[in-house]
This record gives sequence, structure tokens and C-alpha cells, in this order.
Amino acid sequence: MGRQYLLLFALLAACTRGPDDDLQYIKQARSIAAEWALVNEQANAGRVNVTYVTAMHGWLRDGLLAASSSLSEPKSDYGAEISALLALPSDAAPATLRSHSESLKLIEDALESA
Amino acid sequence: MNPLELTLGIMTAVGGFVDISELVFAARAGSTFGYALIWVFAFATIGIIIFAEMSGRVAAVAKQPVFNLMRHRLGLKLGLVTLAASVISNLITCAAEIGGVALILNYLTGAPYLLLAAGMTVLLIVSIWVLPFKWIERTYGLLGLFMIVFAVALVAIHPPWDQIALGLVPQVPSGLSTKELLTFGYFTVAILSAVMFPYEVYFYSSGGIEEGWTPKDLLTNRVTSIVGMGLGSLLAIAILASSAQLFGPANVDPEIPGSAALQAAIPFGKWGLILALLGMLFAVAGAAVETCLANAYSIAQYFGWMWGRRKKPWEAPRFTMSWIALFGLAFGIVLTGVDVMTLVEFAVLFSILVLPLTYLPLLLLAGDQKFMREHANGAVAKLLGWFYFGVITMAAVAALPLFFLTSGGNG
Repeated sequence: MGRQYLLLFALLAACTRGPDDDLQYIKQARSIAAEWALVNEQANAGRVNVTYVTAMHGWLRDGLLAASSSLSEPKSDYGAEISALLALPSDAAPATLRSHSESLKLIEDALESA
Repeated sequence: MNPLELTLGIMTAVGGFVDISELVFAARAGSTFGYALIWVFAFATIGIIIFAEMSGRVAAVAKQPVFNLMRHRLGLKLGLVTLAASVISNLITCAAEIGGVALILNYLTGAPYLLLAAGMTVLLIVSIWVLPFKWIERTYGLLGLFMIVFAVALVAIHPPWDQIALGLVPQVPSGLSTKELLTFGYFTVAILSAVMFPYEVYFYSSGGIEEGWTPKDLLTNRVTSIVGMGLGSLLAIAILASSAQLFGPANVDPEIPGSAALQAAIPFGKWGLILALLGMLFAVAGAAVETCLANAYSIAQYFGWMWGRRKKPWEAPRFTMSWIALFGLAFGIVLTGVDVMTLVEFAVLFSILVLPLTYLPLLLLAGDQKFMREHANGAVAKLLGWFYFGVITMAAVAALPLFFLTSGGNG
């Protein structure tokens, strides 16, 4: 009997995994992409030093990797957006980064209103 | 009252007010909810002023540090539970501060994070060993004044002052979904916890005893806690308001502490960035020292050991071993590779659970005329003290459900 409950619990838990469960990682990736754009924009304007920019790129990429590896549906549209972000070079154009951030924001808003 | 000492005390309190949790939650609160959470910072600051003043008064009049009171007022068993909970909470907070210091140094130097964490742990231990108590507090507090660049940066970006002023009015923004309301609730509880961290009271009251306060120092205690903490809280509010202005519209929910430094870089360029990072570095390093010493004070006071940095390290050997071991343990937590932001969230969560147990014995003793004589809590202090005790108790009850329902404020 106990084992049946355990199986049922595992099934229910599996059912709840999906886009809703991924929402926090989508938000995280959206924010990281926007932060990355802001850092690159300031770097291009010569307002921040190279050491800071390099360190920030490292931490932001780590954050994206963590978000990407936590997704329960990596082959989704948001999974593809995050993969595309990870493929970009550190000095990617702020506009490119913002467009990925905005795409993730649209997905996030759609999931939140669903 | 020596004016120079008073000014230094106030400046130390201002520079030492912001720690890694306040930094993180102020920036995230501003980007997520605009100016709507400013009132929580103001409200929590009044709370910490009330309890800090009370703990300083008890230290000056009854010569009792908080943990001594706890053992006597709560009894040995409940006292031990409180000790264990606060040691865990302070340890996680200390680890978050060490991780934060290493991160900030990484932005400044580019050296490897874990190497910086190890180096800073050693440096913090040496600074406590070498510096007299007063100068431990002052060195970090005064250098933390570089954080003022955040307030100047806010002025430079011409924020909507009317909206900032409106943020001081207690409110819940209209039109939020249930999920957003829960997240707003989580941020409210987290800010309350981050501003009223229990270690601040343990450190402040033990510091009063370290410095040999007497009833003659009560005015200094009152002015330092009200003006110093009040002005310190303005720095946290400046970070929140800049974040609302710069990060919110850009879809940024600062995921790492380094993003907050951009608030100064945007108006002032490289020098603004460096001043912001230096201010963050010293303020967070100071908080690491305070959390670690607060833990050692708590343990030594509970078990009745010799304690205090006014003594030579070998004159209070168990106390000395405690703070060194606690630094080692906090560094051990950082070494596990756990993310600083996760540590900050756990620190805030554990601390709010401990807060009611920290403030109850303090309230009881500060109101006891047998110990405090004419310096016992008056009607206003009693009313405010019990009101805030009720609020933090409710926050402690709500903290865990809100944390799980909002995935730690991530929606």
C-alpha cells in the first residue's frame, strides 16, 4: 500500500514538472540577458573597467548555465532561447541580448497569465 | 558626550548598516516592485532602532548582554534552542558575507573567487586579532561610507522624488495577481529580516559592554542608534530607488551583487563603479566580522565563558577559539560552492525564525524596573517594542510558507 502511494506521489510530482515549473528559470535567464546587455552597453561606452566586465560575464554565464540545466523541458521555445544566449560571445551586441531577454519576457508573461 | 566620538559612532553605524542581504533585497525589491517597498525599509529601520537602543541601554545599565538574558529569561532548554538556531542563522549569514566579499573582490581584481574567499577569511581573522575592538568596528564602518556614492548616484539620475516619497506610505500595489501578491509578501518579510538581523543586536549590546558603557552613555547610545541607523537605511533606500529607476524598466532583477554597482557606474563611469564596489566590499566585510563575533559572543555568554575583544586573545581562549572556528566553518560553507544568492536567501529565512526569540528576553528585561531602575522602558518604548515583537512574530510564521510558495521570491 505504502509503495502504491509512493508511486502515485511520484507520478503527481512528474505531472507538475513542465513550463510552470520552469518559470523561475525563465525569469532568471530573462534577467541575466538584460543584465548582460546593460554591462555590455556600459563597457562599449567605456564607463566600466575590463576586469569588472570580464568577471560579470563569467558570473552571468554561470547563472545562465545553471538556469539552462535546471529546465525540465530543455527542448522548448524558452530552452532554445537560453541555448541561443549561451552560444553568444561575451561581447555580444546589447541589442541582440535585449531581443533574447524580450522573447523570454513574452514567454514568461504568457505562462504567468495562463 | 564627546562630539568626536559621537560623530565617529554615527558614521560607523551609517557605513556598517548595509550588508549583503540588504544590498541584494533592496536591488531586487526596486526592480520588481518599483518604489512600493520603500516603506518596509523605513518600517524595519524603526524596528531595529528601537531594539538596538534597548539592547544598548540594557548593556549600559544592567551590564547584561543579550545571550546572558536569554539564558536567564527563557530558561536553559529554550535558551539552548535559541542559541542553536541563532548560531546556524549567523553562520549562514557570515558565509553569505564572506562569499559576497569574495565576489566583490573578484569584480575588482579578477582573481579566482575561492582563492579570494580564503584570503579574505584569513585577513578578517587577522584584523580582529590585531585591532582593538573600537577600531574593528570603525575601520569597516568608516570605509563602508564609500557606499554614499549610491545616494549621490540616485540624485544624479534625477529620479521621480514624488514617487519615492509616496513609497514611504505603507501600501500594497493594486492590480497584482495572487502570485505577485505572495512575492510582495515574501519581499516584505525578507526585508524585515535583513534589516533586523539578530546578529546586529547581539553585536551592538556586546559592543556596549566591550566599550564599558555606563548610564552616562545612554544619550550617545540613543543618538548613535537613531541617527546612525536612520541615515544608514537611506543608503539601502537609495539602492532600491536607483534599481526601480534603472533596472526595472530594463527587465533586470539583479541576479548577482555586482549588478548593483552599475547604479553608480551609469551616472559616474569607472570611478563611480570603483567607489561603489569599495563601499560594498568594506560594508559586507564589516558585516562578516560582526556576524562571526556575534556568534562567538552568544556562545561564550550562554556558557558563561570569559569573552570579549577588550581582553587579549589568550585571556579568553574559548571565546577566541570560537570566533576563529566560526570563520573556518563559514569559509567551509563557501567552499561547498553554494551560490551566494542562495546563502543570502537562507540567511534571511533562518534569521526571521530566530528574531522573536531574540527580542522577547530583551523586551522583558528592558521593561523590568528591578534591573533597569529609572532607565526601564517607558510607555512609548513598551508600546513600540511589543508592536514590533508582534510584527516579527507574524513575519516568522509567514516566512516559510511564503518562501516555498514563491520559490524564494522568484515567482
